[in-house]
Amino acid sequence: MSTVDRIAPGQPLEVAVGRDRALEACHAAVAAALAAGADRASAFLTGRRSGYTRFAVDRVHQPQDIREWTLMVRAESDGRASRVATTDLTAAAAVGGRAADRARALAAAFGSLPVGPAAPAVAGDDADASLWVDESAHWDTAARTAAARRTMDAAVRAGGAAYGMVHHAATELAVVTGEGVERYARATEAHGSLTVKVADGTSHWTDVDRSLAVLDLEAATARTVREADAAKGRIDLPDGTYDVVLGPLATGGLLERIAAFGFTGEAVADGVGAVARRRGQQVVVPEVDVADDPTARRGLPFPFDLEGTASVRVPLLDRGRVAGAVTDLASAARSGLPPTGHAHIAREETPHAVPASITMAAGSDEDLVAGVERGLYVQRLWYLNVIDPETTTLTGGSRDACFLVEDGRLTQPVSPARFSESVFGALGRVDGIGPDVLAQPLMNVWNGCVSAPAVRVRGFRFGGAR
Amino acid sequence: MSRPGGTAPTAHAWGDLADDARACGLLDEALAATEARGVTFADARLVEAEELRLYTSRAGGLDERREHTAGIGVRVLVDGAWGFAAVALAGPGSSDRAPREAAEQAVRSALAGAGLARTELPARESSSGRWEVPVEVDPFAVPDEERHALLQEVVRAASAPQAVRAVTAGLNAKRQHRHYADSEGSRQHQHLVESGAVLQAVAADESGVQRRSYPNSFHGNTAAGGWEYVLGLSLPTEAARVGEEATRLLTAPQAPSGTADLVIGPAQMALQIHESVGHAIELDRILGDETNFAGASWVQPSDVGSLRYGSPAVTIVSDPTAPGTRGTFAWDDEGTPAVRRTLIEEGVLREALSSRESAARAARTTSGAARSDGWAYLPVPFATNVYLEPGRGSLPELLERMGDGYYVDDNSSWSIDDRRMAFQFGTEVAWEVRGGRRGRLLRGFSYGGTTPQFWGSVEAVAGPEEFRAFGMPCGKGEPKQWGFLGHGSSPTLVRGVRIGVMG
Repeated sequence: MSTVDRIAPGQPLEVAVGRDRALEACHAAVAAALAAGADRASAFLTGRRSGYTRFAVDRVHQPQDIREWTLMVRAESDGRASRVATTDLTAAAAVGGRAADRARALAAAFGSLPVGPAAPAVAGDDADASLWVDESAHWDTAARTAAARRTMDAAVRAGGAAYGMVHHAATELAVVTGEGVERYARATEAHGSLTVKVADGTSHWTDVDRSLAVLDLEAATARTVREADAAKGRIDLPDGTYDVVLGPLATGGLLERIAAFGFTGEAVADGVGAVARRRGQQVVVPEVDVADDPTARRGLPFPFDLEGTASVRVPLLDRGRVAGAVTDLASAARSGLPPTGHAHIAREETPHAVPASITMAAGSDEDLVAGVERGLYVQRLWYLNVIDPETTTLTGGSRDACFLVEDGRLTQPVSPARFSESVFGALGRVDGIGPDVLAQPLMNVWNGCVSAPAVRVRGFRFGGAR
Repeated sequence: MSRPGGTAPTAHAWGDLADDARACGLLDEALAATEARGVTFADARLVEAEELRLYTSRAGGLDERREHTAGIGVRVLVDGAWGFAAVALAGPGSSDRAPREAAEQAVRSALAGAGLARTELPARESSSGRWEVPVEVDPFAVPDEERHALLQEVVRAASAPQAVRAVTAGLNAKRQHRHYADSEGSRQHQHLVESGAVLQAVAADESGVQRRSYPNSFHGNTAAGGWEYVLGLSLPTEAARVGEEATRLLTAPQAPSGTADLVIGPAQMALQIHESVGHAIELDRILGDETNFAGASWVQPSDVGSLRYGSPAVTIVSDPTAPGTRGTFAWDDEGTPAVRRTLIEEGVLREALSSRESAARAARTTSGAARSDGWAYLPVPFATNVYLEPGRGSLPELLERMGDGYYVDDNSSWSIDDRRMAFQFGTEVAWEVRGGRRGRLLRGFSYGGTTPQFWGSVEAVAGPEEFRAFGMPCGKGEPKQWGFLGHGSSPTLVRGVRIGVMG
């Protein structure tokens, strides 16, 4: 019997590690660190099992199934802390002991520091049923490949080609601390992303949610094919200032770097950025509400962070006014702000607090384009980077299906164009907010997501030189 | 194939997978589990990595992190369809099912994709051996006191000016065992060590906020090598300069708008090469595979071999055999031996960065640039060590040749469109140059243009004595993975560049 014959058909997605094994590893690591002399210890385990089907034109070119996990232990001695991480769960206790040894060595070399805060004790599962959706778990490789085939076929029927990715994942997080925190939660994730190209016309769609049903792939495919076809025959966009309708993905793009404008505990503690310098000021129109909301219905809600702190909703722009900042335990202590459950540890970066569930509230304006006499519709923004955090200025470009708007109707498709704009400035000129929201992942942020509706902005400048 | 010599005794003797024979056993187990009807090709990669990161700041805290990962990724072709699966290793103390689990899931995944367009890999001769990065001083064996004393000295030096509000300094090291095997008979063992440092100083007053960095604003710099690389950076001296420059920038005049001649320093040129050459000539992008995410390219498949990409002063090579960068290796991540290639020869595009599959689709031979982020991801074309070949002369000679213009360096903001055509970069520093001499420091400098226009305007490149290389991460693929690569150049004279584009 060959290997293929012995391989079972697709199984529903399961978590990478599982509750019992994850908590057991965390407890072993913490106990060993404390036994080795650490004053304090904590551990978390992130697990992820994911299946990706990436397709282009007529083939699946990147199928990937990944089962991964990381156990990270933090041990503290005389206020000096060291973190040690491993994928080897059989070494959990050894890693805990090693973290304690490292912390003691740091304290011996550099002396003590004031002891930082700890998350308040809480025990039990975070078994929110809305986080685990069976339909998402059952979206196996065969089903995703079939969806990709249908999408590629639809694009071919329109005389074009489809490029995209569909994936599902199971995310889990366990946290244990010496002060009595014991938490575990698991969550599914379904994500679709698609670009259709017809001649020189392109259109893009993406959405991510705990539930596959929210994505509505069939409708998204039909709409994206239709828009790509309509976007054929692009002309260059003359430099100038336009009334623009930003689609939901473009609005989300405008918000994805909001942390850089000072909405974190670190920035508040350093005395820089919006919350430190402009708290309470009306910086955008009152209709704009932006929060970091780990309890949001859309996107990738999750109940607690890597330190075991409950993740709470933090208003960032509260009815247009600069409001709060997200924190982890360290930045909460430094800034005097409350812990909000936004600890994050990214590769090649220092641990820091980060907004991971950026949510802009939807409005009720059904047809934003109808309110533009002469202007522009922008579907998607691309390669955004901060030029000046103080003025909240970004540079980037438009991408995919963008059109001139004349007398309230989309007319001539236009090519991508560059812009440099202030985010607060643009959101300060919003006079319409759409009802529908799309969610997109935040790159390099664990479980990160930004969800936003379309907005109409009066006066948005495109062009490089002023 | 072996390149030992000069290696500190401890540098490669850590971890469970230091033993090539044990690694081979796991790889063979994975390959055996792929043997099935219809499987025409299989390869497996086993990677064990450990990373050490230390950061400290002016506020006095110290963050130390050591991360260890190990896992296996298996790739198969079944009836012309790819399958790939990756699983973390459970650990040496347990009965590890990861090789078999990854192999079986890879086959299952490929079967689901059968019936679509077929992938054909051209035949290849096997290549086997062991390769180690030469290391003089094992960075993991450096005493805590030495490391931390250096960090403290750096922070003190950068913090000296009163206007400096925040300083972050960091040291990092990474070591890896990367093992590869395939159904064609290759068995490869690479043992890598990297070392690096980062420094950023932020000065602020009522007029605004300014930042300076060293050795490079984007994650500092890391090299393939040991602690000797960090010692060679002269960090305390450079830290004092960085703190002073950040402060001087607060009162520096705003850089102007218009059109000007520029000499661009190596730290900024590294990013210019990366964004407007490296990504643009990845063959999978040219063929459309990245259209949905990272974007396509202004280069067409038929352009490779004849497209005028830049001026005759522009020769850009891919050289993974050049020592000391993060784009240095002996085999890429699908087992192709490292070879120096000329990508752009005196301004003409001769070759793309490719994998076996993308090269076959374009009826070319691979340039050996299939690379992946550890064990968990499928290899895709990433840059290797891609650099602009030096020309002649010193930086002062190049400034004199320019006459009037600006000398700019080190990136502060960057963006390029999805075809890698229209770009806009800001730099941390700029100096006015008049009559070939550096004058005033300016703040808020930026420039923009289009790729062929920019490279076509390169008039001269300084000599090898001014050459600097930088290791950097970059993102690509869905799921997004970090590619680690090297770019370098000498200062480069470019005529007629649009400046002051940020407004």
